[in-house]
Amino acid sequence: MATLQTTAPTEADHAPDRPRVRRKRTVAQRLRHDWPLLLLALPVVAHLMVFHYWPSAWNIIAFLDYSPYRPFWENPFVGFAWFERLFNDPYFTPALLNTLKFSAANLLFMFPLSIVLALAMNSIVSIRLRSAFQSVVYLPHFFSWVLVVTVFVQVLGSDGLISNWLMGMGGERLNFTSNPDTFMLLVWMQWAWKDAGWGMIIFLAALASINPSLYEAAAVDGANRWRRMWHITLPSIRPVIILLLILQIGGILSVGFEQYQLQRSSIGYQSTEVLDTFVYYQSIVGNQGESFGTAAGLFKGVIGLILILVANNIAHRLGEQGIYQKS
Amino acid sequence: MTATDVRKPRRRSARPVWDEEPSILGKLVKAAFLLCYAAAIVLPIWAVVATSFASERALTRAGGNLLLLPTDVSLQAYREIFSGGALTDSLILTGLLTLCGTAISMVLTICGAYALSRTGSLLHRPILWLILLTFLFGPGMYPSFLVVQQLGLFDSYWSLILPGAVGTFNIIILRAFFQNSIPGELLDAAKMDGAGEFRTLFLIVLPMSKAILAVIALFYAVGYWNLYFQAVLYTPGLDTQPIQVVLQRMLMSSQGLPEGAQAAAQYQAQGEAAPTAALKMAVVVCTIIPIVIMYPFIQKHFTKAVITGAVKG
Repeated sequence: MATLQTTAPTEADHAPDRPRVRRKRTVAQRLRHDWPLLLLALPVVAHLMVFHYWPSAWNIIAFLDYSPYRPFWENPFVGFAWFERLFNDPYFTPALLNTLKFSAANLLFMFPLSIVLALAMNSIVSIRLRSAFQSVVYLPHFFSWVLVVTVFVQVLGSDGLISNWLMGMGGERLNFTSNPDTFMLLVWMQWAWKDAGWGMIIFLAALASINPSLYEAAAVDGANRWRRMWHITLPSIRPVIILLLILQIGGILSVGFEQYQLQRSSIGYQSTEVLDTFVYYQSIVGNQGESFGTAAGLFKGVIGLILILVANNIAHRLGEQGIYQKS
Repeated sequence: MTATDVRKPRRRSARPVWDEEPSILGKLVKAAFLLCYAAAIVLPIWAVVATSFASERALTRAGGNLLLLPTDVSLQAYREIFSGGALTDSLILTGLLTLCGTAISMVLTICGAYALSRTGSLLHRPILWLILLTFLFGPGMYPSFLVVQQLGLFDSYWSLILPGAVGTFNIIILRAFFQNSIPGELLDAAKMDGAGEFRTLFLIVLPMSKAILAVIALFYAVGYWNLYFQAVLYTPGLDTQPIQVVLQRMLMSSQGLPEGAQAAAQYQAQGEAAPTAALKMAVVVCTIIPIVIMYPFIQKHFTKAVITGAVKG
């Protein structure tokens, strides 16, 4: 059994014999053998414990009337009182609705845009031209939101480049970067500018992995360009689309923070308030208190968790892979 | 001479034989779409660069805060940034944060990914679960803030590095790479030759993973360089702020917004004029440059890293 295997030793290949060998060993023996690996994993485990699981445990204060100025055990338990207050908060429902609105807009607009971009990009025959385009459209993904908002104010703001052109031609100034009514359009444009190209990358990879002989066979059988796209391309990238949809649905309450926080003072809080900015402005900046902010964050986390599990379950039922396998 | 012999040299395009040539209209629509998209990205960036080199006079003449062609080139804005004032400090701070942060993150990520790539080792499964569960649930803003305060990191530059030092997604990407792209025979052979885990990691695994390590390092570095929210949250009281925060204050003050008032007052107190458009755009250029410099080296490996992550995550 100890001979070297000639096949690629993937996880599955090792699975049949490794556990059998291991099972005979005691924990002490395994520890003597594996201690370097444990030592290597230790910093990450410690980090996650301190900065992920320890704060996660502090979510308990959403159920207490917490104050940092008294010993932890003296904080009275208040049940769901903070959540009740949260749902009755006049600013919470608009923030929740805004979040859902932006998520839905992202799903309806960015997703198809990325797919269309990927299809257009994929049909560029010249490889050099294609990689030139890719270099350009991926770049803004690495810019910060501060930078993106600054550039947008400079180009579309009331003193911006386009305003000046319009003025020069006898038109009026744009009132785009400070108008709450058109904020959704502004957000869309910022998404498209910053992230549509990056969103395309995964679809491009999926398109590249389609077997070209499928297209050839279809073309020989007389299928035209559009039929090939409908019957070969789209079904081939369906697993990727579904995977990304699940991730999107799981993140429906997380639309980001910086984009909204940065434009809050010029647009006004009514249009820009999302759940994350709500938590920040109500509990860290404002004086609604520790427990209130935690309750709002916990609400978001729990709903996100439920959504991701449900979406994954649906994907499994549809016969798709989903984010994690049932094991 | 057959017909194919004649036609062959004319086919310069890489279009496969079975694919029919698209109609002229189709080609035009596609080209227009892609060109508009690329222009919408490139033109603003170009205008920013051009404005950063513009002199005060050219800007006044243009009557706006952005121009496409700097008529008389001036380096005044860059001189001001690197003259040793608050902007220089901020750029140095951000650079140091990026270097230290990326180094810390890479060490943690490499160690974690390597440990987890050896399936069947002691506690392998629980540790993997510990990492995967972070995808499903985040602690929330306030509890994280509270823990940073408890640890005494509030208003300390460490709070900008430590809380986000581990990207669990990057660990999973790197682990998948170690498992799938490094031949197990090599690891077995190293073990037979008496190399321990540490030697195997440093002498065999890491040299074979340079490309993906570069991509992950880029992701981390960009994250630290673009850091804004953490600074707003954890270090509001510090004098020298990361460059993104400084840029944001400049933007606010030039828009005449209340948040900018403080910054504007500060400029007045220091006897400086409010930042000109050229200065603002020069700061933008300074925040773009490191990204643009690193970008070409790493761009070709993006796809691989993103795909591995998506499939395994």
